[in-house]
Amino acid sequence: VSTNTDIHHLAAAYALDAVDDRERAAFEAHYPSCDVCRTDVLEYRDTLAQLADAAPVAPGADVRDRVLAEIARTRQLSPLLPVSELAERRRRRRRVLSTTLAAAAAMVLVVAGALLVSRDDQPAFADELAAVLAQPDARLVPLDGDAGTVRVVWSDEADRAAFLADDLPAAPDGEAYELWLIDDGGAVPMHLLDPAADGEVRATFDIRASPVAWGVTLEPVEGSAAPTGEILYVAEV
Amino acid sequence: MGVLNLSRGRRADRLAAPPDDGGDPLGSLLRRAGRGDQDAFASLYDELAPLVHGVVLRVVRDPAQSDEVTQEVFVELWRLATRFDETRGSVKSWAATVAHRRAIDRVRSEQSARDRVAREVSNVVPDHDSVVDEVETTLDQARVRRALGRLTGLQREAVELAYFGGHTYREVAVLLDVAEGTVKTRIRDGMIRLRDELGATP
Repeated sequence: VSTNTDIHHLAAAYALDAVDDRERAAFEAHYPSCDVCRTDVLEYRDTLAQLADAAPVAPGADVRDRVLAEIARTRQLSPLLPVSELAERRRRRRRVLSTTLAAAAAMVLVVAGALLVSRDDQPAFADELAAVLAQPDARLVPLDGDAGTVRVVWSDEADRAAFLADDLPAAPDGEAYELWLIDDGGAVPMHLLDPAADGEVRATFDIRASPVAWGVTLEPVEGSAAPTGEILYVAEV
Repeated sequence: MGVLNLSRGRRADRLAAPPDDGGDPLGSLLRRAGRGDQDAFASLYDELAPLVHGVVLRVVRDPAQSDEVTQEVFVELWRLATRFDETRGSVKSWAATVAHRRAIDRVRSEQSARDRVAREVSNVVPDHDSVVDEVETTLDQARVRRALGRLTGLQREAVELAYFGGHTYREVAVLLDVAEGTVKTRIRDGMIRLRDELGATP
């Protein structure tokens, strides 16, 4: 399985703010769930603070008064609530994951509605998708990959997920696209994806685990028990 | 004057604080600031202002703008004080991170994309030696100077141009006229060596 390890090498440049906006977003999607990078960033920041501390400069004399006047009329943010046990478990799972599957940047969206359903979707699929989207914990992630965007919508509560693609090219002869749900135990095979002639895929299926990532690989046509092909699409949750 | 006296008193409090207040003496000030204690925040300002402003001034350069950015940084620290998590680094590390990010945001938003392209295309290399020289002559801690001295020339220039110059690694590559990949590697190697030389916060 080919993975992109390059992102780990951005930790120093990121700590220095020496990355562009795109790289910053990609790294910020990655490093909280990567033990190595998280530690690196903390240590580099500490190092830089020592550098900064060794080169102090006093600000203008009136800055202090201006700061104190402004904070007197500035509301502080509400504190973050303690992570629930569930969230903590989730976080631990993510850490395990990141050692097995390199991350791609993923923009996680809160689903705003059923705008994913196209007019000509089968009524059965549209109903199923609507049912998943109706769950309060419904999530949508676009998976990053080479040929267009593919998307997964799922609900842990409902144990149900839907997969949508619009431009998935036909799989090579003898091979099939396989969708994987990744949790702390590794990759669980979810669904073989069979694009229609126009590249459209619409599928719904049960999930029995809470994903920390989704991935799509090319596998032998009958599918595999564990991913063997190159990762074509991937998103961390 | 009242604030000053009060903050002295608070500092005495801090020294007498029980050991479970943690290893970071600024932490208890920050926790009090997080509960809305403006006097505690004033003391925090006194402790952190030279560090914050040092970072901001080196990146922003213009003294009047730097004062503005330093002010923004402290208002931001006040807003975020409720969310400081000491398991994710020291107060100084947090303040330096916020300061640097703010300073970078200021210079990058002001430097239009067109200017940036024009400069890179025309290949006019600004005088980056002055940044490096100035940083080195003003470092007032022998320990840090020594640590920087253990870096190779290219590692040191790359780290200083990124951190104090406020440049991305791609811009540093243009400034130093070396490949982007080379700069990325030098920055990484330089930071690893600095980290190993300096160790944890004393």
